[in-house]
Amino acid sequence: MATVLDPAGAPAADERPPARRTKSTTPGGRRRHLPPLLAISPFYVLFAVFGAFPIVFSVYLSFQDWDGIGDMRFVGLQQYGWLLRDSVFWHSVLNTFEIWFLSTVPMLFLALVLAFLLHSQVRFTGAYRVAYFIPNVTSMVAMTVVFGSVFAQAGLANAVLRAIGVDGIGWLSSEWGIKSSVSLMIIWRWVGYNALIFLAGLQAIPTEHFEAARVDGANSRQTLFRVVLPQLRPVVLFAAVTSTINGLQIFTESQVLFQSTDTGTTGGPGQEGMTIVLYLWQKAFKEHQFGYGAAMGWVLFAIIAIFTIINWRLVSGSDDDRRPGLAGLLRRKGARDGR
Amino acid sequence: MSRRRFLGASLGGAGAGLLGLTGCGGEAGSASAGTDHLSLWYWKGSLSDQLLATARRGVPGVPGLRVKGSQIPDGDIDSKVRTSLAARAYVPDLTVVNSDNLATFFPDENEFLDLRTLGAESVRDQYLDWKWKACFTPTGRMIGFPLDAGPTALYYRRDLFRDAGLPHEPADVAEEIPTWEKFIAAGRTLRAKGPGKPCLLSNIGNVFQQVLLQSPKQFVDAENRFIGDQEHVRRAWDLSVEILRQQLSAGITDGTPDFNAAMSGGRVATMTTAVWAIYGLKDTAPKTSGSWRLTTLPDGPCNYGGSYVTLTRYCREPEAAFAFLKWMLSPANQLKSYQEMALFPTTPASYADPAMHKPDPFFGGQQPIDVFGPAARKAPVVWFSPYEETANTPFFQELTNVEMLGKNPERAWRDAVNTAETTLSRVGVS
Repeated sequence: MATVLDPAGAPAADERPPARRTKSTTPGGRRRHLPPLLAISPFYVLFAVFGAFPIVFSVYLSFQDWDGIGDMRFVGLQQYGWLLRDSVFWHSVLNTFEIWFLSTVPMLFLALVLAFLLHSQVRFTGAYRVAYFIPNVTSMVAMTVVFGSVFAQAGLANAVLRAIGVDGIGWLSSEWGIKSSVSLMIIWRWVGYNALIFLAGLQAIPTEHFEAARVDGANSRQTLFRVVLPQLRPVVLFAAVTSTINGLQIFTESQVLFQSTDTGTTGGPGQEGMTIVLYLWQKAFKEHQFGYGAAMGWVLFAIIAIFTIINWRLVSGSDDDRRPGLAGLLRRKGARDGR
Repeated sequence: MSRRRFLGASLGGAGAGLLGLTGCGGEAGSASAGTDHLSLWYWKGSLSDQLLATARRGVPGVPGLRVKGSQIPDGDIDSKVRTSLAARAYVPDLTVVNSDNLATFFPDENEFLDLRTLGAESVRDQYLDWKWKACFTPTGRMIGFPLDAGPTALYYRRDLFRDAGLPHEPADVAEEIPTWEKFIAAGRTLRAKGPGKPCLLSNIGNVFQQVLLQSPKQFVDAENRFIGDQEHVRRAWDLSVEILRQQLSAGITDGTPDFNAAMSGGRVATMTTAVWAIYGLKDTAPKTSGSWRLTTLPDGPCNYGGSYVTLTRYCREPEAAFAFLKWMLSPANQLKSYQEMALFPTTPASYADPAMHKPDPFFGGQQPIDVFGPAARKAPVVWFSPYEETANTPFFQELTNVEMLGKNPERAWRDAVNTAETTLSRVGVS
């Protein structure tokens, strides 16, 4: 113990345990901190320049009227006032939530199913894992172009529908067609990723728990609801929170899918594919209303924060079943089924 | 070197690098500072590769001048120029600006050099009048130099017109379908008697666009007032809605796989668009080669698209940069650019050159210049405001809603006007 040998630390040693003392009070102590601080400084320097500064600047910007080159004009809270009265913005918020719901719920469910399938003994697990991850690392623009032709009026999706005797759907030209096609693209992209996350969570559950459940005579349904899901809760929480954050930032799918020379990128017919981030981008980078875009960014931040908290509450719940929560609900349902 | 000194040195290096980053901007601001060439930003296809290769070695006739072009992706160039101007660092000496975007720089006209101070008037008579006039800001500063033009024509399927019993030679079509009303009537005949009952158009957006461009007024006037609810826009709207009401539009978005299928399958009989669409059409529907013809747009020609070159105020050598422009965009070199890159010249002298009078088998041996040349000369002078896109987006959007979702046209019109007015009030247009 260095401090015990240190004479400078001696007077204080009577009152407090010497091990708790920091070394900065010892001679040369501050200088001894320098190398490690320098070693970690590149991150903080880069973060300050490329992370913290833009964040602070965007707050400042949201109170200004600025076209990106000329002088800024202070407008106070006016941008936020306009935003609250902007019907297109609220339409984009609604769209974003509809698309988020349409994509996230089936996506997490499918991911869970896939994870279970992978967790049981199948051959070529490694190949499946790679296959599931490929959509996530594919260029989004390339993928959107492909989906654009799949969902075309004379595309593959409608050909399949017609083959089973159903009329074709206006995938890119009707309200729910647009939302479904964007959602399907999100599901395709994220289902494998989340399946791998769930799989990692499943594999972390000790096999003894399964054995104990089997010895106690639990059927597979009871095992799922009373053993697996409660233990998967942190993983489900992680997946739900990241999916919410990703889902509220949907952009590329709508941008590439509904790009036309006439209307630019306004989210297709009825602006049904217009998401919050697409609207932000359109205002800031197409129409050069940077202050308005910055204000929109902060409102989006607030929305994401609120929904992350709601998500957290819902999924994490508490061990007390009286508290409403998704896990609690699942457990109660499981208990009913068991009776 | 001890570990501590190494760390200190590397941190110092990083700090110096950051200081250097800001230091450069303060000094000159030009992206070409400290080099032996001027920098030019453009997007792929907007300038002749061969001429740029020459300019990189040395601009002929201007000893010691080298210009190096940097390709910037088409959609990014505008915001990249904007951000570099805002940062006052790494600004290119010269940059290409799309016709739709030149006006968006008007509020910041002082960021660009006034080309009249460099003697632009001396070459004025070589260029199309309307194109030259479009280079000026409302205060009379010339911030753009004419690059290429986008004269428009009526592209039509001669075979489908003939089989429907309509006039089908370019001169006859021009004579017998001189107005949009006649055009709609021809569409009805086509739908009734044409083989496979072809549609007149892929969608109504293009007609709306061309009727607007035929008018000298757009959505916002020079006094910064919204005029999008007036007669000239209403006429374009009504004509488009009428085409829809008569079920003459196929209702498909241009450039989508559905559009490609309709064009190659002969489901659409005409296109109302600019010269640059030729190459997309040839690519999309190669099998229809020989069936297409070109003629004058109903109600006369207009200009759709094209670009300009600007000199930023960070330009290191304005005189030399302007000498480069005069060389690069001279009638002789615009002719070369047309032959190499299909950039339509803004110098009418080029139109008479035999090199531009090559028969095109895709149009059954017709010479496209016979239609586009006169169209380029006759295009009206149009006033564009910096807020044009902000103002017209709701109209195009609502027109799409009418066409694709069957929205009531009157309601759509009211919604478009309201949205445009609210959006414009935020940027100071009343």
